[in-house]
Formats: sequence, structure tokens, C-alpha cells
Amino acid sequence: MKTIYILSLCLAVVLTGCMGDLDIANPNQPTVEVYWNTADDAVRGVNAVYSTLHRGGISRWLPFYYIIRSDEGRSQSPATDIVNNMDQFLITDYNYGNAYGIWNDNYVGIFRANQVIANVPDIAMDETMRNRIVGEAKFLRALYYYHLVTLWGNVPLMLTPSVPQDKPGTTSAEGVWAQIEKDLSEAVAALPTAYTNPADLGRITRGAAQALLAKAYMQQRNYSEALVPLEWLVEGDGKDLYDLMPDYRDNFLITSENNRESLFEWQFQLNPSENHDDDASPADPDRLNYGTSVSQFFGPPGVGWSDGEANRWLVNEFLEEQTTDGQRDPRLEASLLFDSTDVRGPGFTMIYGQTFTQRYGTDNKRVWFRKFQNDHWKDFEGYNSPNNWRYIRYADVLLMYAECLNHEGRTAEAYGFVDRVRQRAGLPLLSDVMPGLTSAQFLEQIKHERITELCGEGHRWNDLARWGDLSPALADRDPGFSTFDVNKDELLPIPQQERDINPALRQNDQW
Amino acid sequence: MKKKLLAGDSACIRRLYLILLSLLCVLSVAEASSLPVPQATITGRVTDDTNAPLPGVNVLLKGTSQGTTTDIDGRYTLTVPPGDGTILVFSFIGYASIEETVDNRTTVNVVLRADVQNLHEVVVIGYQTVEKKDLTGAVSVISPEASNRLTSNSLAESIQGLAPGVTVRNGGAPGQMARIEIRGASSFANTDPLYVIDGMIADANTTINNNDIASIQILKDASAAAIYGSRAANGVIIITTKQGKEGPATISLSAKYGVQQLPKRWDLTNSTEFAALQRTQFENSGATPPASVSTAFDPSINTNWQDEVMRTGSLQDYNLSISGGSKTGTYLVSGSYFTNQGVLIGNSFERGSLRVNTRSEKGRIAFGENLVLTNSVQRNPAEGNPFYDMPQMLPIIPVQGDAFISPTNPEGWGIGTTGAVTYAWNSVAANNLSPRRSNFSKAVGNAYAEVKLTDWLTYRFNTGLEVSFDHYRTIRQVGIWQFNAAPKPSSVDEERARFLNLLFEHTLNFNKTIGEHRIRGVVGISRQHITRENTLGGRTALQQYNGDYFTTIGSATGLSTAGGGRPTDYKTFGYLGRVQYDFRDTYLLTATGRIDQDSRFSENYRTGFFPSLAAAWRISREPFFNVPWVTDLKLHASYGELGIVPLDSWDYTGFINTSPRAIFGPDQTPNGGATQAQLANPNLKWEERIVQNIGVDASLLEDRLVVTLEAYNTLSKDNLLRLPVAGYLGNLIANPFINAGSIRNRGIEVTAMYQNRAHALTWDITGNLTTIHNTVEDVGNQGQGIQYIQSGNTRTQVGRSLGEWYVLRTNGIFQSDDEVQAYRNADGKVIQPFAKAGDIRYIDKDGNGEINNEDRDFAGSPWPKLQTGLQGNARYKQFSLNLQFVGVFGYTIYNDVRRALDSYQNTNFRRDISPWSETNTNTGDPRIGLATDQGINENNRTNTDRWLEKGAYVRLRNVEVAYTFPETSLSRLGITSARVFVSAQNLFTITGYSGLDPDLVGNTDPNNPQARILERGVDQGNWPASRAFSLGVQCSF
Repeated sequence: MKTIYILSLCLAVVLTGCMGDLDIANPNQPTVEVYWNTADDAVRGVNAVYSTLHRGGISRWLPFYYIIRSDEGRSQSPATDIVNNMDQFLITDYNYGNAYGIWNDNYVGIFRANQVIANVPDIAMDETMRNRIVGEAKFLRALYYYHLVTLWGNVPLMLTPSVPQDKPGTTSAEGVWAQIEKDLSEAVAALPTAYTNPADLGRITRGAAQALLAKAYMQQRNYSEALVPLEWLVEGDGKDLYDLMPDYRDNFLITSENNRESLFEWQFQLNPSENHDDDASPADPDRLNYGTSVSQFFGPPGVGWSDGEANRWLVNEFLEEQTTDGQRDPRLEASLLFDSTDVRGPGFTMIYGQTFTQRYGTDNKRVWFRKFQNDHWKDFEGYNSPNNWRYIRYADVLLMYAECLNHEGRTAEAYGFVDRVRQRAGLPLLSDVMPGLTSAQFLEQIKHERITELCGEGHRWNDLARWGDLSPALADRDPGFSTFDVNKDELLPIPQQERDINPALRQNDQW
Repeated sequence: MKKKLLAGDSACIRRLYLILLSLLCVLSVAEASSLPVPQATITGRVTDDTNAPLPGVNVLLKGTSQGTTTDIDGRYTLTVPPGDGTILVFSFIGYASIEETVDNRTTVNVVLRADVQNLHEVVVIGYQTVEKKDLTGAVSVISPEASNRLTSNSLAESIQGLAPGVTVRNGGAPGQMARIEIRGASSFANTDPLYVIDGMIADANTTINNNDIASIQILKDASAAAIYGSRAANGVIIITTKQGKEGPATISLSAKYGVQQLPKRWDLTNSTEFAALQRTQFENSGATPPASVSTAFDPSINTNWQDEVMRTGSLQDYNLSISGGSKTGTYLVSGSYFTNQGVLIGNSFERGSLRVNTRSEKGRIAFGENLVLTNSVQRNPAEGNPFYDMPQMLPIIPVQGDAFISPTNPEGWGIGTTGAVTYAWNSVAANNLSPRRSNFSKAVGNAYAEVKLTDWLTYRFNTGLEVSFDHYRTIRQVGIWQFNAAPKPSSVDEERARFLNLLFEHTLNFNKTIGEHRIRGVVGISRQHITRENTLGGRTALQQYNGDYFTTIGSATGLSTAGGGRPTDYKTFGYLGRVQYDFRDTYLLTATGRIDQDSRFSENYRTGFFPSLAAAWRISREPFFNVPWVTDLKLHASYGELGIVPLDSWDYTGFINTSPRAIFGPDQTPNGGATQAQLANPNLKWEERIVQNIGVDASLLEDRLVVTLEAYNTLSKDNLLRLPVAGYLGNLIANPFINAGSIRNRGIEVTAMYQNRAHALTWDITGNLTTIHNTVEDVGNQGQGIQYIQSGNTRTQVGRSLGEWYVLRTNGIFQSDDEVQAYRNADGKVIQPFAKAGDIRYIDKDGNGEINNEDRDFAGSPWPKLQTGLQGNARYKQFSLNLQFVGVFGYTIYNDVRRALDSYQNTNFRRDISPWSETNTNTGDPRIGLATDQGINENNRTNTDRWLEKGAYVRLRNVEVAYTFPETSLSRLGITSARVFVSAQNLFTITGYSGLDPDLVGNTDPNNPQARILERGVDQGNWPASRAFSLGVQCSF
């Protein structure tokens, strides 16, 4: 008996001991060390950089900072933090969450782009495709820095994959712009003018890179440099690639996305089973929302949160001129929802399936943005709008080109490109109704043209910044500007937590 | 004592050593002794002080090993040698032993008295049992008789107030776990104690039936807990379940039925009062009141949302068990059913369980198992918290109405409109439209084999199992429950998960007495493997016919989704040992150590060593000690180190995340992306606790007064913190962990019990009190000069307690516009330029002339200064009374529900507010107006002390009156004992807190464990403890 006890005891102890192997592989995800080996790894790597565009900081809150904070938008949200921070220049906290969210999500995109730029060049794969993928990543990195530099100005420049110990210093806005120019120039060289495989529709093209490069130069008021990419787009290869759509409204409908007027769109799609917005949440990736929630936040009351809306003066800009056949500018109806979106008035204006009168009576003067909303195909909004955000349209390019030509003293040449945009709307030619404008007068006219053509598309803040028009004088149009501090509010404060963690970062002036 | 790395080689040597040790033990075998010849027969009956028979009482002829046990009726028969000196010893766990001299009697009946503080009571301290008198560490023992008087969701809830040093905060909802902490919070990531059920390391969550529990011991200091080493740092709760006793089969039955209600609700305006107040509000701000409260006010709509959502709940609890055994084996089989219809619509919990505990012996070998199978079903709305929404929802909105019918709201649920703005949820609609059912099918248990190698050495192999099959199903029907909410397609979502927890342990227990020296102890190895796998599936577009939805995934017709993985997979491996030495029962010494390895660290950091040392001195056994009123006096002290691993399985390494999706192509198809999303720190190591404890145990006045005093000082080091990393790193999911924090907890625990058994009316009273002084010692490098962690409105700062309130200080109300203008800083700047008469005045702490975050200050602690519990029992003849009180004092709550109400915006109003006006200046409530007015906005700042309240309370947790039937009236029915009782739970609470319940769990964000610990004092619509009246019966056959 004893022997049996002893043997079984020894056996049990030894068996248990041998099971003490503590190396357990994660069956859910590959480690960073084993990735970045194949062409497929490279493609999926760059896809993740695109995916950042539907993260909430970018798809939802970035438009608030470019639209609602500018004079074309306002907020009457019951969430007073939105009103204070995004409309009225009353910054409640340097770490204000929604601003910080924009900062974070753009850097998320940069981290992802940096992983591609650092790792893909070493992958053995087709060289053209490899260059293209790195070019896409460089464009997107430049795009994210474009957002950061136009909102915060002087930001840390991250160009390699992050490690927790990174403590970069501040790069001045000039340095950030230089990196944007470098990335975009390299992207221009590496990217195709179009993709042969239709499955790649929506990826960055050379035209998109040229257009963003032009914007980068223009924001630095370097109009002559901007003319180079703009010439490529308007007079060169781009001439055959792009044109205005005959119907202005096609630029805002889900049925005519990625059309020939479009240079770059944030691609959104409805995921009917979506239940989360975090494109890094490993739990249930099939249920990721890859639509945008901005339409829910801009939706009028009873439809959406109405946290951001338009200022009434925009309506008047459209009413300044009539079309050649004596009608109202058709772009008004496409751009704004208000009591007379239908020219016949509130009894005929449809707000998501009900008349304006039914919803709000007849004496409500509020105005909401209509572009990229979904009232053309459903009577409600949601957090998952599939409507692509047209980030750069050809009409924008034409007006940019005209602005640069005018700035370089080539006002007469510039008329033609403004007229292309006006003609599509049915307006008389500028060369007929306002011939012989001085350069300064022409710039003023450009400002009007950009409002009527591009309002509510996210360009207004940068336009005002470029023109030096950000000032309390705008309070006539938008009372929010009464609290605007010149030489301070042009930029947001660097989030305090960034500086607390990394004292090498400096705060923007006056903050 | 530094932790050391243990290489694989020495692990093998250790194993070899164990084998040799076991060999040694097997070599000696004890001889049995022969018995004396019996000569006379004694019979008798043993009862308790209510005259109920006590089966299983040991009756022993003193000085021999000869004896018997009482039968089911408490009767015994024993043959003894004749003579005057014969003495019988009657002993029974939980009762004071009695010695009776037989003289020449042939019938000896005795009454055993329950002994609340039995020093010979056996206490389970992990891999070993010791008598209570031999304890050297801090251990609280809770009698299940006390904890089971309450009907509770979980074990944790049932022991509130019953043991010092144990903080329990109630969740309230059916099936919701209470929050439990032992000796404060020492971690930023996890403060849950370790549960050990019959030797199996497994959570005692809501799936465990409290009625199966035979004993509860709580190991609080390092000496007691160190045997569990790396998991013990938050304390250990050891649960032993009931076993059968030698004797014929006993059938026990208990049944309880109760009704439940919420003892308190918000006192809110009805629709007429609401309309009047809202008109005033609009007029004050110069705005036209909406038609809904003026021209189109409809007095026929007067919805009391609390009435619509609250209901009378019910409780039912049934237990049936059969148990018995012989000299060589015992068994207990019990079945139970518990159901709780919650006090809010749509909330319920039910649990059925079956337990089988057996033990068999053959020769030197014993086998046994303790196994419970349970099935629990919890139902609740998938989203939202009605305790926020019920008070805020407007009384002028009906629950349902034709006016609300639209494509997104086909059933016309009443929600806010542009004319009656509220963003509060219609909780009735949410409950109807999005129900969730959670089902947990679970087996927890262990099986063991014991071999008595010699009379002093026992080998035990223990294997434990916890397997849970979880199923969650969430339905979303078409419709919305909130103004402006985005509609969603109908859908069904299911998750199936399998949790598996396997434990293997080999231990050797030794117990040897040599003269006046006694050495006891245990050595062993323990290995545990825990995995959780889940599968998710769902589909949109449910079919619907005649208003009924088809709710299986297969029946839905829309888009389907799938997901899943193995989120948890880790192993631990440990070597454990404890040696106890005592000399003359007077000097006791315990050394404990454990070496643990854990797969959740990278290879270089896997091993940790957790030692402890304790000593006790039973001063009352010293010859020089001669104090007649002191029966027993023991001093003890301990020091030790414990660990904890609040990590997921693979936090130490970086992974490629494949969740991103990019949209491309003419059909806008999602394309998979891959990227590193979360940064990782490979150098993670153990969280460590250094625990010091001193204590005194005393029995006074012939055991009538028993007092225990403990003082402790616990320092946690290398606490795992998710230190914020800079946003420019682009990190997602969560900040990477780093070992950086440190927290100290100090406190005193006192328990005192006084019993009086001298008269027909017997009574006892037990009180305990706890102080916890919690101090943050280090929060790591949070950024330059930053010695704190901000979480919501709390700040956790070095030198202060976890989660103290850090808010703007208010200073009354401006009584005039002149006062506003006069309120300036030193430079003459008007501090609150937007304020008007009737607005809140804030203190400009930094004197910069404006109110901003820099003006925040510490404004109170969520930590009680004192926690107390008091239990009283009284018995008179067949009647007994039990009272349980809980008192918690000296802490501060942030009442976020009142914040929503008293901000006056888009919400119903409290009926008793008294807004400031020129004719009503003597009030603490500011003027009422719209948030379009910046002055009103500033009154409603969330980060101010306006929303802080004192949280002290005293609660009658339970009162129970019971009647025990006399044996004579039952025996004809074959019933051995029967008892009926009525009880009232949470009958009253004395508190100054304005919310529904000052006993709250704080932040409950499942995705933010740190906020759950740091924002412990916020009332985010905490589910209050219900008042319950119950009627029950217990009997055995």
C-alpha cells in the first residue's frame, strides 16, 4: 500500500509541475513584431490610416471647429460647453474634451501613417504599389497635420512610430507647414491620377494631393507657389480629370458620391448594425460605425441634436443676386434649411417629411445646414450617416485658382474661373455684371462667391484666417465673435495635459 | 524582504524536495489504542436554549476517546464505567461545551448555549484549519445565521455591517453585486477581494446561494492572507459550504416570501405646478413660455414618471436539503430557487441551484466533492438608468400618445418635443423597446482526495472547477425614447461566453506535538488557469406580426454580424507554505510564504515572493497573570507582503489591431485595416502591499464580554496605474499600465460582544466599528509638478485620500446687482460679470478676477470617518428577536441627480425648491431662468460644492421576529424543529442626504475601473436599497 501512495503522490506532483508553462500566446491579435511582412500587411496598414477619418474627433467635431466656430455657424445647444468652446471663444478648459478629441484623433491618424511610412518601405512587394501606399500615408499624414496646424499652429511633429518615452519639442507652424509641403510633394510624385481597380475608388489620387498642397501654400499666403499645383489641376492633367457637376446639389447627395467634381472625400458608409464608433475596439469590429454623426449633430430640432446651426446672414448672401432667368440662386435650397428653403415659404418647406410650419410654426428664424444631411432620402438622421464629406471639390479648386491669380495681379484671367462656378448656378457672368474690378474688389467678390458656393463645407474658418478677417468685427454677423481676442483666438490653446506630461512643449502666445 | 527571481532549475529542486518530504512522511504509521470495557448505559437529550433538539453533538467520556453523537432528535445513548467520577463532555461547533458529572444518573439531559465567541471554533485560514484561539492574524468570522437573515443579491451585500474593516456598498438592482472592500482601497485598478469557496478560488457572485454557506471568514492581514500570496492583497473571503453530519437523513425546508418597495422617492411638481414654474422661468429670462405650459397647457396630462416606472417588487426564496451520513461518509444535497421582481419595471433576477456535497472515507483515504450547479436569469433594460430619467422627465408628457407617432416612433412613446424640451428618457419606452436577458449557467466546485500518511501528516490533492456558460440577448425594437434621438433598426444581439477556471493543488498538512511544543503547517503547490471565450452574433430587421417580434437571429432578415475571441487566458503557478509553532499554548509564531508566477507579466517579471511573519502571546496563560475577570487575553502582531495583478492577460506587449475599416469602391465597401493602436509597457511587475497588524483578543467577565481590537497599517507600492500619455502619441483604447502608484491605509477595528444568558430572557449584543484612513503616497509622474489624478469632480492627490472632491466653492447668493458689481478682486475686476441678483457667488480662490478651474479646492472626502455595525439578539421562551443596524458617518456625496434637477433646464422641478426672487430673498436656491442667460449657466456649473452633501446615515438593516415551535407539538407530525419568522429589511434610515439613498456604489462605468475606484462618492442615480417585508418558515424532518 505504502508504495502505491508514494508512487501516486510523486506522479501527481511531477505532473502538476510540468504544467507550469507560463508562455501563453494571444490568439486574438498578432504582436507588432510579427507584422509588416507582406503586400497585404501594407494595404491593411494604410487602410487603418484612412479609417481614422470616421473617428468622432474628425468626422463630428472637426466640422464644428471649422464651421460653427466661424461666422457662418453658431450653436444654441443646451450643452453649454459646445456654445462656449465652439461658438463663443469662451474656452472653459485647456483640456476641453471635444477639442482634445480632435487633437487626439489627428495624432491617431499620424501614428498610423508613421507605422506605414516606417515599415512598408522594407516590405518585399511590387515597387509601384509600395510607393503608392507610402504616398497615401504621406498624404494622410499631411492632412492630419493640416488640421493640427490650422487649429493649434505650433504642435509637436511626430514622424516615426510612437513609443511612450517620446518627448518632442514644439515645432513652429512654419516647420509643420514645411513638413506638410514635403509629404504632399512626395505624395504627388507617388500617387496615380486615378485607380484602375474600381475597388480602390476613394483612395487618394495625385489630384487630391495637388489640391491639398495648394491649400497648404495658400494658408501660408504663398499664392505664387500655390499656382503650381493649381495649374496642374485647372490647366494641366487635371483639366481632363475633373469638371463641375451640372447639378450643384449632386455634390451633397448619397447618390452621386465620388463624382467628377470630387477631388477628395471622406468616405462614409452606413453600417446598419453599428453599435460603436471606436475603430480600435477589438470587441466587435463588424459593428463599427463607419458613417459620420455630424448630420445628427447638425440636424434641426425634432430630427437631430441641433448642436450646430447656420447664421441667418448666409441666406441674405444668396439673395443678393438672381439667376439669369430671374430665379433665386438654386444653391440656397441645396445649402440651407430654413423657413423658405422652398421659395414659397414655410408652408411648403419640407423639413424631414413635415412642413416647416408643422414643425416650428411660421415665425421661427433659425437656419440649419443642409449639405451632407440625409433629408433627400429619409425623414430622420442618425449617428451613422453614409453621406460622404466632400473635402475638396473642383469648384473650390477653381475659386482657389482665381484667388491666387488675382493675388498675382492676373485678375483678368481669374474672372473666367469664377464664372465657371457662377454659370453652373445659373448666375450671370461676373465679367458681365462686374467687369474691371480691382484686385482688392475682386478679392471681396471671391469672398462672396466662396460663401455662396462653399458655405457649410468646412472651409470658412481657414478662409477667414487666410484673409486676415478673424476679428470682433464679425460680431455683426455672428455675435459669438464679440468675445474674439485678436492675436489669441486664431489658435486654440495647446491641451494643458500635453504640456504637463511633456514640459518641452510650449503654449501658444497669449494663452 | 525583496522579491527574487526564481529560475526554472530551482523550481525543479523544490519539486524534488517536496517528493522527498512526502516519502519521509509515509514511513511512520500510528498504532490504534485499545478501548476500555463499558459497564453502564446513560441516555439523554441535548437541546439548545429554545428547546430545539441538537443533532450531531459530540458526547465524550472525559479522558477517553470513547463517545457518540446525538441523533436527529438530539438523543444519545452511551455506555460508561460506573462510578462517581464519570464526566461527560458535550461539545458542538458554535456552542459552549458543557461537562456534566454523571454521578449515578442514567438520564443526563443538557442544554447547550450558543457560543458567539467560541475560542475552539474552527477557522479556515486557507489550506488549513485552526482553532480560533490559535489565530495570529486578523481574521473576521461571520456567522451565516446573521448574514442570512437578509434577503440579498450577493454574499457581499449580506455581510454589510457584520465585520469590522469590511466596507460594503449596495448596488440595489436585482442581480447586482454590491461593492466590497477590505480595509480600504489600496489599488487604482482593482479593489475586489479574493474569494475562496471550499478551497476553490472563484467569485462568490450572485450565482451563489447564501443559504448553502456554513461559514464565512475574512482574512484581513498579511499573516492570514499570505498563503494566497499574489492574489491576497485586497483581502480574502473564505467560504465553506454546508456538509452533511453523521446520523440519519435530515430534511430541511425553508421558504420565504417578501414584498419590496423603494422607501423614498423624489418629491416633484405635478403638471400644473410644473407649468406655473416653467412660465415663471421663461418670463424671468424675458422669453415667451412655450405653448405646452401656457396657451396649450393640457391639465389632463399629468404623468408621474416615478409611478410609471416604480412598482412593488417581490422576493421568493425556497430551499430544500437532505443531509446525513455515517461514520465513513456524509452527504448533503440541497436545491434552491430564488426570485426577485425588482422595484422598477423590467428588472428581475431569478436563480435555481443544486448543491451536492459529499465526503467518504476508507481507511486512510478520504474523498469528497462540493459542487453547485446554478442557473441565473437577469432581465433589465439594455440601456439607461431610470433613477436619472424618472425625476427629470416632464409631467406634461404622456407615457404614450398619438401626437408622438412618427416613422421613428411608431408606438408614439412620449418624449420631449420642440415645444416641451427635455432630453430625459422615457424609461417605460426604453424598457419596452430594448430589453436584455442575461443567463448564467454555472458549475462551481472542488473534488479532493486526502491521504492520512501518518497521524501527523496528511496529503491532499484538490482540484477546483468553475465553469460558466453565459448568454446575453438584447432586443432592439423599432422606436425611440428620447427627443431628437437617432433611430436604430430593429435588431437582436446575442453573446455566448464560456468562462473556465481550473485549479490544481497538492498540499501536505502536518500537525505534531512534542511535549509542550506544537508544530503545524502546510506546504504545497497551486496552479490555476483561467480562460474566457466569447462569440457574438446579431442581426438587424426583426420580423414583426400583430405587434409581436420574432427575436431569434435566424428569424431576423437584415444584416448579420459576428465577433468573438478569447479575451482572457492566463495561468498562475505558486509554491506555498506556512509553519505555525506554539509553546504551551502561550507563545504562537506563524511564518507564511508564497512564491507565485503569473503569465500576465513578461518573462523577466513573472515571479514574486510574498512572505509574512506573525506572533501571538496568550498573556492570560502566564503563571503571573491573575486577573479573575479576564478569562482569556491574547496579543498578536504581524508583518507581511502581499501582491495583486490587476492586469488583463497580455497587457505587457503590443499588438496589431485589426478593427479599423476603410471605405472604398463604387459600393463603398468596408476594407480591413491593421495597425498598432495601443502602446504597451513591457516592464510591468507585481503590485505589492506591505501589511502590518497588531491586535488584542480578550474574553472578560466569564466570557460574557468578548472584545477584539485590531490596528493596521498597509502600504501599497508599485501600484499599476494607467498614467496619462500625451495625445501626440496617438495611443488608443487605454493608456498603458506602469507601476507607479502608492497608497497607504491605516485604521482601527473594534468588535465587542456582550451576552447575557443568566435568565429566561437571554440576549446578546455585538457591535463593531471601523476607521479607515486612506492616504495617497504616490501617483507617479502625471506631468510636471502634478501630484494628483483628476477623475470627474474628484482629485486624488498625494497626501490626501483617494477621490476627494475638488470643486469650486460657493459663497451664498448675490442679493442685488450692486453686490455683483461690488464683488471684485484686488485689481478691481468684476469677478462674475454675467451674474445678476439671485445668482450663486463663487470664491475666486486665486484672486485673478474670474471664476475658472484654477479656483477649485478640496471640499470633502467620500471616505467615511467611521463605519459601524450593531447586531442584537434576544430570546424569550419560543420567541426571538434580531436587530441589525448599520451606521456610516462623516463622508461627502456628490448628488448628480439633484444637480440635474436643480439646474432647472429641460427637467421637472423638485416641489420644494424656493428660487430666489426679489420677494423671496431668504433662500439657498438661486433664481430660476433659462440657460440662454450666462448667469444661469454659471449657477449650473457642475464642478461646484453646490451639489455636495453630507452622507452620514444610520439604518435598521433588518429586524426579525421568530417563533420556534416547542418539540412536543411537532413530534407527532414527524417534525423535529419548526420556526416561523417575519422580517423587515431597511425599515428606516436616518440621514440628512436629499437623494434616494446615501449608501451608494459611486461611478459604475464598466469601461473605466479607475473611475469606479476614484469616483466612489458620486450618486449617478444609484439604485437605492429596497425596503422589504418578508414572511418565512423553516422546518426540518
